[in-house]
Amino acid sequence: MPSLDELIEAFVELDEGRVLSLVEKLIVEIPPPDILEACRKATVTIGERFEKGEYFLSELVYAGEIFRRIMDIVLPKLREEVKPIATIVLGTVEGDIHDIGKNIFKAFAEAAGFKVVDLGVDTSPDRFVEAVRRYNPEIVGMSGLLTIAIESMRRVVEALKQAGLRDRVKIIIGGGRVDKYAKRYTGADDWADNAMLGVRKCKRLIGLEG
Amino acid sequence: MLGSRSPEELVKERMERIEKAIDLKEPNRVPLLIFTCGDILRKYATGYELYFNYDKTREASLRFVSEFPVDSLGVVTAAEGFVFSLAFADYPDIAPSIRFWSGPMHDALLDRYTRWPGRELPEDSILQFIGGQFMDVGEYAKLSDNPVAFVNEVILPRSCVNLEKPGSVKANASLIKLGVEASRFLKFLGDLAVDLARAGVPSLPLTFAYTPLDFIGDFLRYPTGALLDVRRYPDRVKQACEALVDPIIKIGLSLKPAGAKYAFIPLHLNEYLSPKLYREFYWPTLRKVIETLYDQGIKSLVFFEGWHDVHLETILDLPKGWGIAYFEKTDVRKAKKILGGHTCIMGGIPPSMLLQETPDKIKEYVRDLLGEAKPGGGFILAPGVADIPKEVPLENLKALIEAVEEYGRY
Repeated sequence: MPSLDELIEAFVELDEGRVLSLVEKLIVEIPPPDILEACRKATVTIGERFEKGEYFLSELVYAGEIFRRIMDIVLPKLREEVKPIATIVLGTVEGDIHDIGKNIFKAFAEAAGFKVVDLGVDTSPDRFVEAVRRYNPEIVGMSGLLTIAIESMRRVVEALKQAGLRDRVKIIIGGGRVDKYAKRYTGADDWADNAMLGVRKCKRLIGLEG
Repeated sequence: MLGSRSPEELVKERMERIEKAIDLKEPNRVPLLIFTCGDILRKYATGYELYFNYDKTREASLRFVSEFPVDSLGVVTAAEGFVFSLAFADYPDIAPSIRFWSGPMHDALLDRYTRWPGRELPEDSILQFIGGQFMDVGEYAKLSDNPVAFVNEVILPRSCVNLEKPGSVKANASLIKLGVEASRFLKFLGDLAVDLARAGVPSLPLTFAYTPLDFIGDFLRYPTGALLDVRRYPDRVKQACEALVDPIIKIGLSLKPAGAKYAFIPLHLNEYLSPKLYREFYWPTLRKVIETLYDQGIKSLVFFEGWHDVHLETILDLPKGWGIAYFEKTDVRKAKKILGGHTCIMGGIPPSMLLQETPDKIKEYVRDLLGEAKPGGGFILAPGVADIPKEVPLENLKALIEAVEEYGRY
């Protein structure tokens, strides 16, 4: 029986074939939540490598794909849902239908233990408001690639204020063209222009070590 | 702001200013260039009008330059359409006319790559290129064997609703419609250049090229698909990239007889790749494209989208004076330090800053930036690649133009 440490190492090294064969073996005897915890540890290390400049977006895309394939094996064996550390309502904002960045962030947020409610792309302010009412998340994450997304993000913050929900959530904006100016313009609580930083900042926003 | 100079004189002066910067010299002032895909022009027309009504685009562009006298305005109110050019790479009279994909061209073929205001999107939005996965991983060999035939015979029928059945009445009629639209669009581009020149604003004589791996990511396998292929099937990807070089160069040379001097090359997967993968899968074929065009008298205008920091040194592989490196997020000051005297650097203004800061702060920013980036020449000031948002206050754009006048003089 291989060990979880071997799985972590193979995942961090992005050895897809080895990861999948290890998971197939481990799932026979190890409880699924322990495998997920090992994946979480691996993604933390992957994130560190990214932030140190050893890994790049292409490695994150690959890691996200490997994680998806692990989940395909593990999820059917999971008897009860693992309690998430917090909920994020996530969407690409109105007027923008790009989702590569949002999906990378989602994979790593889930691997970190967040529950992610994904509203998809071109998400109107009303749909963000509705989702905040319905899922009562700790965090609202808005994603966008285009410059017009910044204006849409501002409108979502405005709509949450109007609905009296602004103070119940932390708001983070993300995307390639998001920066400190965009954060100020939109009225968000934080910003990130890469997925790993986004996940770390989400943890910090709810008072966990990021 | 025409002053006492005629439009002809202004065009000459501005063009000289730009060309000197490209030639790594000091012009009389740092040139200011703006490229727009339409967002900022929505101050004067809706997104739908800009992409579907060429007269409105001309009007909006002229209003823009009358309010904001820039050294050149690149109007690209059209989508990424290089796949269509590649399909006709062997026909230099057709290939460049469909490189930028206009709204009516989308109507003609109903391609699945793009989404448009007034069609799939609300009227006052901006067009979006989405791409898609239209090629199976098992088809790399066919692509490598003959990229032009493969795109025509396999990819276009999958990626365009109206070409689903090649040879059908619908497909043939759609191609005729496309031809009509392509000549209308070319006429529009020509008319626009004449209009802008009458207003004293020159247009860069452009032709077009592409990076082979981006071609695979943007039009065939989707960006994430291409990245996974690099991991799982590295040899297939490399071979396909090699095969794409020739047709891309043919397209790049197609407008040379018409006087084109600069090949526009937008990069997409550059910031996704580690230096190792970049040097192995991306740079060799892009470098071949740039160098071959340079040998034929065409410099490149490369949009290094996103962060390009870790790949900056590779630019030094190119011959000195090869063209213009247009940066989005990479700090142009840093780029100038590494590439100064070798490469003309362009960029420097984050669009979000124009949105959020006050006119005074913008002037301060430009002053500080030019203090570092201006000395020695070879520098062009421009907002980031991603267009200027419509919501940018007019006084902020004015501040940008005044700041270049004030702090950009040599």
